[in-house]
Amino acid sequence: MTSDPDPVPAADVTCPSCGWPVGPQDNFCEACRAELAPAVVSGEDPVQATACPFCQSEQITPDGYCESCGRKLPSSRDHTEIDLGLLAGVTDRGLRHHRNEDAMALATAELPDGPAAVAVVCDGVSSTRRPDEASLAASQAAVQVLLAAVRTGHDLIEASRDAVSAAREAVAGLGKPGEAAALDPPSATFVSAVLTSEAVTLCWLGDSRAYWLGAGPDAASQRLTRDDSVAGEMVAAGLLSEADALALPQAHVVTGWVGADLSGAAPHVTRFEPPGPGALLLCSDGLWNYQPEAVKLAGQALPGALSDPLAAASALVSFALECGGMDNVTVVLAPFPLRPAHSAGPPADRPADPSADPATDLADHPESHEPAAPSARLDPEEKPADEPA
Amino acid sequence: MSQPDFTVEISQNEYLPEGGDDVNAIVTVTSPAAAPGDGRLAGPAADSGSAEIIIVDCSGSMRSPQTKIAEARAATATAVDVIRDGVAFAVIAGTDKAQPIYPPDGTLAVADAQTRQSAKQAVAGLLPRGGTAIGQWLRLAHSMFTNHPASLRHAILLTDGRNEHETPEQLAEAISLSEGVFSCDCRGVGTDWEVAELRRISSALLGTVDIVPDPAGLAADFAAMMETAMGKQVADVSLQVWTPQHATIVFVKQVAPVVEDLTDRRVASGPQAGDYPTGAWGGGESRDYHLRIRVVPAGIGQQMLAARVSLVATTPSGPEVLGRGNVLATWTDDEALSTRINANVAHYTGQAELAQVIQEGLEARKAGDEDLATAKLGRAVALAEQSGNEDTAKLLAKVVDVVDAATGTVRLKKKVDDADEMALDTRSTKTVRTRK
Repeated sequence: MTSDPDPVPAADVTCPSCGWPVGPQDNFCEACRAELAPAVVSGEDPVQATACPFCQSEQITPDGYCESCGRKLPSSRDHTEIDLGLLAGVTDRGLRHHRNEDAMALATAELPDGPAAVAVVCDGVSSTRRPDEASLAASQAAVQVLLAAVRTGHDLIEASRDAVSAAREAVAGLGKPGEAAALDPPSATFVSAVLTSEAVTLCWLGDSRAYWLGAGPDAASQRLTRDDSVAGEMVAAGLLSEADALALPQAHVVTGWVGADLSGAAPHVTRFEPPGPGALLLCSDGLWNYQPEAVKLAGQALPGALSDPLAAASALVSFALECGGMDNVTVVLAPFPLRPAHSAGPPADRPADPSADPATDLADHPESHEPAAPSARLDPEEKPADEPA
Repeated sequence: MSQPDFTVEISQNEYLPEGGDDVNAIVTVTSPAAAPGDGRLAGPAADSGSAEIIIVDCSGSMRSPQTKIAEARAATATAVDVIRDGVAFAVIAGTDKAQPIYPPDGTLAVADAQTRQSAKQAVAGLLPRGGTAIGQWLRLAHSMFTNHPASLRHAILLTDGRNEHETPEQLAEAISLSEGVFSCDCRGVGTDWEVAELRRISSALLGTVDIVPDPAGLAADFAAMMETAMGKQVADVSLQVWTPQHATIVFVKQVAPVVEDLTDRRVASGPQAGDYPTGAWGGGESRDYHLRIRVVPAGIGQQMLAARVSLVATTPSGPEVLGRGNVLATWTDDEALSTRINANVAHYTGQAELAQVIQEGLEARKAGDEDLATAKLGRAVALAEQSGNEDTAKLLAKVVDVVDAATGTVRLKKKVDDADEMALDTRSTKTVRTRK
C-alpha cells in the first residue's frame, strides 16, 4: 500500500473511490487499492421498480410484490445487459418462465502483453431449490477466481478448475438450516472462458455452451463444448444422431452441474486457439435450443459481433424470444482478437428499467434498454474520444 | 415485551394453468416451544394475566344418576387443584339462573393453597336443583371476566341437558356477547344434552366440545382441560390475511386439529386485510389452516402474491406480528406443474368433507332417511379409511356395519348406543395430519 503516492501525470481517468488519477492499464488504484475494473455480474444488485407497472401503486413489499394488486414486479434480473467493451452479454427471463435463473459474470483486465477477458455463464437447474440463487452465486464466485488468475498470470487451466470449485462451494453454501441437504440442493450449469491475446481457455459442466464463430474465409465455426446431458451423452457414445437425441423427452436432463450433491464431478477444461478472427459465444440452452448450429449462429452474429458485441448479443436474445422464449436466455459475445482497450467502448452494466412502459407486453417483458445509473468505473463525460461509432 | 416468533409454513402448488384463478394453500402455524429456563415461556408473562371460571351444571337432572353430581363436584375440585398460584379463578353453579359459588361475591379469587381449599369446600356443597339456562351462565361469566384485567380468559362449561329454560335467541345473544371476551371448552355428560347446542358455544368461543358419557370420566377430562389452559401463553392471536385487489376469499378454515370454518368471522383490519380470531396459543402448539382464494389471472410466466398470512397478537401497545408467510400464484403453460395436486390441500379437503358427511349422515339418520344416511356415512367411512383417520373410523364402526371400507359400502346398524352416536357427532371435526 502506498501511503504517500508520488504525483503521476494527469490521466483521463480517476479512481472512482478516491479520485486519484489512474492509468489505463491499472487494475487497482495505487492510492486506495480500490478495484478499478471489477467483475460485473448480472442480477447481483437487482434494481427494483419503485412503482407497479400493472396498477401504478407505489407501495412495494420488501420482497418485490405490489402491495395493491399483488403482482411480482419485474426486476433488473429479468433482463440485464453488460457491455465491457472487450466483450458483452445479455441475459433475459424469456417469455415463459417467471424468473431469470440464468446468470452471467464478465470481467476484463489489462496485462503488460495486452488485454484479457473473462466470462462465466450459469443456468440454474430448475428442478433444484433456488436455482436463481445458485447461478448467481456460482458465476460470482467463479469470475473472482478467474480474474485474480488472469491478473497474476496463473495457469488458466488450473484456475478454471479452481473457479468451478469456488462456484461449487458458493452454491453449497446456499443450503439453509433445516433443509435436507441431500434433497435437490441448489445447482447450476457452468461454462467459463478466459480470452487472452493468443487463446481461449474453456471450462464447463452441464449444457451451457461455447461456440467459435469464425469470420474469415476458412471460418471453421464450431461448437467448443460437449453437453453433460442425456442427449449429449447419447451422441458422444455414438448411440444416436444429435437430432434424434435432442428429440428424446429427457434430452435436456443435465448430467453435470455445480452443486453440493455432485462434488466429485470433474469439469471439462480445454484450450482453444482461434484459427483466425471471429467471436467467442457463450450461451445457455435458451439460445441453442432454437439454433444449435455453429455455422448458422455465426451467420446471425457476424460481422456485427466483431465491432459491437452488445448489439449482436441483443440480436441473438431477441431471436430466441421471437422463437418462443421458452427458457431463460443468456448470450455473451467476445470478438477475437481482443481489441485494445483504448478502442473499446465504455463499460456499462445496463439493467432494463423495470418500471418501463406499464400495462403492455413490455411490462410483462421489459425490453427497454435505458441505461441505468452511470457505471462506477468511468464517468460518461470522460468517454474516450476515439470510441468506435 | 416482545412476543416470541411463530413459524408460518405454506404448503401449496403455486402453479396455475393459463386463466387459472383458484389458489389453495395449507398454512401451518406453530407457536414457539416452551423452553426450559425461559421465564417468558414457562407460563404466561404474569399469572395475574390469566383467569379461569368453571361453570358446573347444577340442574335437577344432575341427580340422576346420583354419581353425576358427585363426579361433577370431584372433577371441579380436581380442576381447581390444577390452577397455578396467582391465576384468578371462580366457580359458577348453573341452573335456570347462574350463581357464583366461589368466591360467593362474584369476583375472582387469586389461586393459592387457601383459596383452592375454600373453593373445593364450596364445590362440595353443590346441590342439584332447578333448570338449565346456559345463556345465563355465560352472561355471569362474561361480567366476572370483564371486571378483571386478565387477558387470557378461559372457561370450562359442563352440562348434562338441553338449554330448556330460555329461548335459543337468549342463548345466541349470550354467546355473541361472550365472543372475543373469553374462550370456553364445553363438555356434555351423559346423553341428554344436544351436540349442536354445545358446538355452537365452543365454536364461537374458540374452545373444544366433547362428550363424557360416563360421569366417572369427568375428573381426568377436567384436569386435562385445565392443564391445557394453564399452558396458554399468548392471548388474542388473529390470523391476518391480506389479499390483492379484486381477489376474493372463498374460505378460511382451520383444518387441524379440528375443522372450524372461520370465513364469516373476518374483521377488517386494514387495506385489503382481515383478521380471523384464533384465540390463545400454548407452547409448541401447531394448527393448520386451509385458505382458498380466487384471484384475477395474470399472464403465463407472471407471479402474484395471492395472500400474505400474518399471525398477529393484540398487545397493549397495539398489534404485533408474530409470524408471516406468502401464498403465491404463478401462471405456467407447463402442465406437469399446474396439474400437480398438493398432498396437504387434497388431504384437508377430504378431512373437511369427512366432518361434513358425518354430520349430514347423522342428521339424515335422525330424520329417518336411511338411504341418504347410508350414502353419507358410507362416504365418511371411505374418507376416514383413505386418510388414515383411525379414531373417526372406529367411531363410525359403532354406528354402521362396514362391508367394504375402501368403497364406503356400509349398512346402518339397527341399534346404536346414544353415546356412540353423540361421540361420532362431537368428534366428527377432529382431523389427522397427512401420513408421512
